Amino acid sequence: MDFSLTDDQQLLRDTATKLVERECPPSLVREHMEDPSVYASLWEHLSDFVPLGAGPATDLCLFLEQTGYAAAPGPFLATALYTSLTGDDEHTGTVAFLDDPMNPFVLEADRVERIAMITPDASVATVDTASVEDRLRFVSTIDYSRRVFHLSAAELDLDFTPLDPDAFAAWTDRTNVSVAAETTGTARRIFDMSLEYAKERKQFDRPIGSFQAIQHKLADMSLALQRATAAVQYAAMTCDAAAGDRTIACHSAKAAAGEAARRILKDGAQIHGGIGYTWEHDLHLYLRRATADEDLLGTTSWHLDRIASLLFDVA
Amino acid sequence: MQLAWGPEDEAFRADLIAFLDEHTPPEVLGGFDFSGDLGDDVELVPQWSRDWQATLFDHGWMIPGYPPELGGRNCTPVQTLIYLETLSSRRIPRSGHFPGYAIVAPSLLEFGNDEQRAMAPSAIRGDTIWCIGMSEPNAGSDLAGLQTRAELFDDHFVVNGQKVWTSYVTIAQKCFCYVRTDPTLPKHKGISLLIIDVDTPGIDIRPLRHINGQAGFAEVFFTDVIVPRENLVGELNGGWAITQGSLAHERAGLWVESVGRLEQTVQGLVELAQKLGRADDPIIRRKIAQFHELASSLRAMGYKGFSSFAQGSSAPEHSYMKMATSEAGKAAYELGMEIVGPLAAVTDDTFADSGRWSHGFFMSFANTIAGGSSEIQRNIIAQRILGLPRS
Repeated sequence: MDFSLTDDQQLLRDTATKLVERECPPSLVREHMEDPSVYASLWEHLSDFVPLGAGPATDLCLFLEQTGYAAAPGPFLATALYTSLTGDDEHTGTVAFLDDPMNPFVLEADRVERIAMITPDASVATVDTASVEDRLRFVSTIDYSRRVFHLSAAELDLDFTPLDPDAFAAWTDRTNVSVAAETTGTARRIFDMSLEYAKERKQFDRPIGSFQAIQHKLADMSLALQRATAAVQYAAMTCDAAAGDRTIACHSAKAAAGEAARRILKDGAQIHGGIGYTWEHDLHLYLRRATADEDLLGTTSWHLDRIASLLFDVA
Repeated sequence: MQLAWGPEDEAFRADLIAFLDEHTPPEVLGGFDFSGDLGDDVELVPQWSRDWQATLFDHGWMIPGYPPELGGRNCTPVQTLIYLETLSSRRIPRSGHFPGYAIVAPSLLEFGNDEQRAMAPSAIRGDTIWCIGMSEPNAGSDLAGLQTRAELFDDHFVVNGQKVWTSYVTIAQKCFCYVRTDPTLPKHKGISLLIIDVDTPGIDIRPLRHINGQAGFAEVFFTDVIVPRENLVGELNGGWAITQGSLAHERAGLWVESVGRLEQTVQGLVELAQKLGRADDPIIRRKIAQFHELASSLRAMGYKGFSSFAQGSSAPEHSYMKMATSEAGKAAYELGMEIVGPLAAVTDDTFADSGRWSHGFFMSFANTIAGGSSEIQRNIIAQRILGLPRS
């Protein structure tokens, strides 16, 4: 079991890190709250990496951790999910889960060319977004960095093709670890901001990071982050190897990422004190993304219940 | 990043499994209970366990990364990891007493003179049983505050003072003992390390019973104990560097075993819930799932840290493992008691499962204290890994 990055993976991660640092500063995420069209300048660069969606999960997750770190707006994650389902890397796309209460919304539907609709019995129909435009309604959430939509699918007459059940299961697992990778990146951003703040902010004539109460909080936050990071990388490796524990590993990664994000965003906000509660401080851009991410592709509790089923109900 | 090991490593695993299949004593296979042994007067290190350690040594399977004369076969770090995970998954302990092979031998090899290095093989083979004299009544987490005094007179030291929580001292021949040799220096700088024969006149051992009633560790009193000067390990007043080293030896290899034990405890929770008809309880199910997620992410962290280590980089992941697995273990036993319900605290053995989990719960208290408490671990993470200023 080798967690070390290949030279290519190192390069990919460095490239992603520099790209989002340059093209997706907090100011862009902030502007995106008022003017969603500003994602376009970032997308010009991110769109070059769409083929990652159909490549190894380990590479994709390394990249997604960086888009999550920057709370990058735009259809990169949605297209990655779409591409790996359909194999189509010529178009931007997103996925819509029909009649699925755990996945009620469609990511980034106004920014993609195609929507792959998935029925509960794992059949798929892909449509031009334009053809269902009047069925899409923007849904506002606390997270301004993503755009989600409600799709009215009633009486939608489409030609659904059943998917190979094994391939669909593999794709589902991959989606879970993909979202977990982005969430972990966002959690890492909040952690980094909180650690830096604890070193700078002085009270009682010393940095608050010298107080044991703050140190222990940050130690526990960093443990949660390390766990989520390792769980995501492990789960991505199980996807690439089609390993026997792939499904439970991907559920675990999603749950670990959700738990890490929740702990880090709460304690990170606490460490920032009053300034972190203000609109002008950038912290809330990432708190919003991390909070909303937990509900993307299944809540932490839902994934834990899937893990329980695999532990208890499978012989 | 990839899951599979290389063919040479798989061949190594096959060799190990063939050896274990042939040589593992039956007592090992039946004897390990993840909730701890309930017996009152179990022998601390039974004869079969001593024989097993010697067999491992003689076949080069005691510390496989070491050369044959030290009980190994010069295997790679990856193979060492395969070795540890194979033993852990089969619940096979290497030894009934860890200080000698895990702490004393590596420290002697690194810091000792020729004569002291020559003591390492018998420490690893278990022919000599060692204990470690670190903690004192007033030096627990603040280990550098230790006060046991050793005065140097020409060719010998005279030792006076007291150690406490000294595991294995009741059966040990030798003690790896940290003493204060210069009380005028700052506390980290006046400490030396002595090898003290446990049967030296002036040593008084008083066993202490554990919280579960078993005898395990002891208090050790030193009154005018004469120790030859050549028993000094490393430099005079240079002992602190060795304490740091020995604790590192203790922690680096422990995660595989501690994560393995946590996973076995989680599996025990699943079986317990099934047996007691709680397998459909959504709260119990979700809590157990959380432990599965915790254990599997810690295992992934351990491997990830190992990959850094094998490439010569630092592995911050491993600094978290002791705290994380010990805290998780304690919480897992709590969940076991919750599943057992009203019988959890009952020790009358006419009731199935009674007492077993509460007993394990008590046992688990040791793990968040010994070898550096969870609070000290958090201080270390905050200051050494996260770079926060000392409080």
